[in-house]
Amino acid sequence: MFQSNTKSFLQFISLILLQAFLLNNVNLFGFLNPYIYLLFLITYRFDNNPTLLILIGFGMGFLLDLLSQGAGGHLIASLAIAFLRPYIIQFSFGVNSDISMGMVRGTSLSNRLLYLVLMVFIHHLILFIVVYFNLKSISIIFKYTFFTSIFSFILLWISLGFFKTRHD
Amino acid sequence: MRQIFNALLKYKNTSLFLGLLFISFLIVNQRSFYHKSIFSAIGLGISSNLYSVSKGVSDYFNLKKINGDLVKENNKLKALELIYFQNQILKQKTLDTFNFEVTSAKIIKNSFNKANNYLIINKGYEDGVIEDMGVISTDGVIGVVNESRAHHSSVISILHQEIKVNVSFKKNGAYGSLSWPGIHPNKMTLDDISTINSVSVRDTIVTGGMSAYFPFGIPIGVVSKFVQPKTEGYYQIEVDLFSNLTQKEFAYVIKNKDLDEIKKLTSDVSK
Repeated sequence: MFQSNTKSFLQFISLILLQAFLLNNVNLFGFLNPYIYLLFLITYRFDNNPTLLILIGFGMGFLLDLLSQGAGGHLIASLAIAFLRPYIIQFSFGVNSDISMGMVRGTSLSNRLLYLVLMVFIHHLILFIVVYFNLKSISIIFKYTFFTSIFSFILLWISLGFFKTRHD
Repeated sequence: MRQIFNALLKYKNTSLFLGLLFISFLIVNQRSFYHKSIFSAIGLGISSNLYSVSKGVSDYFNLKKINGDLVKENNKLKALELIYFQNQILKQKTLDTFNFEVTSAKIIKNSFNKANNYLIINKGYEDGVIEDMGVISTDGVIGVVNESRAHHSSVISILHQEIKVNVSFKKNGAYGSLSWPGIHPNKMTLDDISTINSVSVRDTIVTGGMSAYFPFGIPIGVVSKFVQPKTEGYYQIEVDLFSNLTQKEFAYVIKNKDLDEIKKLTSDVSK
């Protein structure tokens, strides 16, 4: 238990540092930045306390906004995705939603893809809505959400592959 | 009681989320100027509608006093009109050559007890009131329009610590800037008057013509005390306002017809 908590804590810190100092400066094609810190919120054990996850989401977003001088987009987006996660799990895994490491092993590929796509898309949509916060920018919000989601999705899928080999 | 606790425990995640979301919006409001302006526009829309309802009720009870004030002002205007007739001055011509237009408005929300005060008036851009217009009352300056919606505008009061009004002495035209130190709603500070000008108590202060907001010569207040520095420099002057900003019902919005031109010039110079 202690070991897994320490592991989670190190993962949390390193993901935030990686995101704030490296990945926020990628600017592929001028505007694409992948948001890999979602990995923590995605792989958090399904049977762990969801209340704690909401607090973690809040803290994670807050630290990221502090480090990257953001207005508060990460804060609200990661808080919201941490709150919505149980419903997304319920929706995408159905009866298998009680498998604790469902994102890494023991579930079918289509369920995992659906879960990952929903998490990434909803998070990015909320993030860009908060950042632009204006009905007139609705087209630019969807454009950024769409392209950034694709980029984040690819990188997250690759990182999840690493996760799998390490745990097996 | 037990049921309330049970309900709280049942929805603890939702209530925690909503609480944190509220905190997040506070943080966003604090950190980003862009979001702050959007929130304040939404807030202005809601509060101006609420205040006009409550003001409508309370006004009914003040009608007698307001009628008295209006009669007084009418008398004054009537006298002026008679003088004009007597002097055979073509009023329309005078109005046409004067650079400022006046629109009357009603104050529906007035604050004077905060560090930075705002007012709301019942005229908006559909009535021709836009940002950066000056607002005066019957006996002095009230402030500058800050933001206008369709039928309401918010006005930065001169009782706001970040606003400075260009003013000058009536007797010799020495000009400086008037600001509010934030303590008493009647006491202002006058800065930037150089010690080469003579100053005495009871000197009248009027608006200066250096700003685009107000025409020259609206009486503002009198010097109540001043400190002369030992070496050369600037006076520290305290000014008592003529107008009592805590009891205002009506205001006049002043539009400078040349505002766009002046703004353009200022931005050209600052380039």
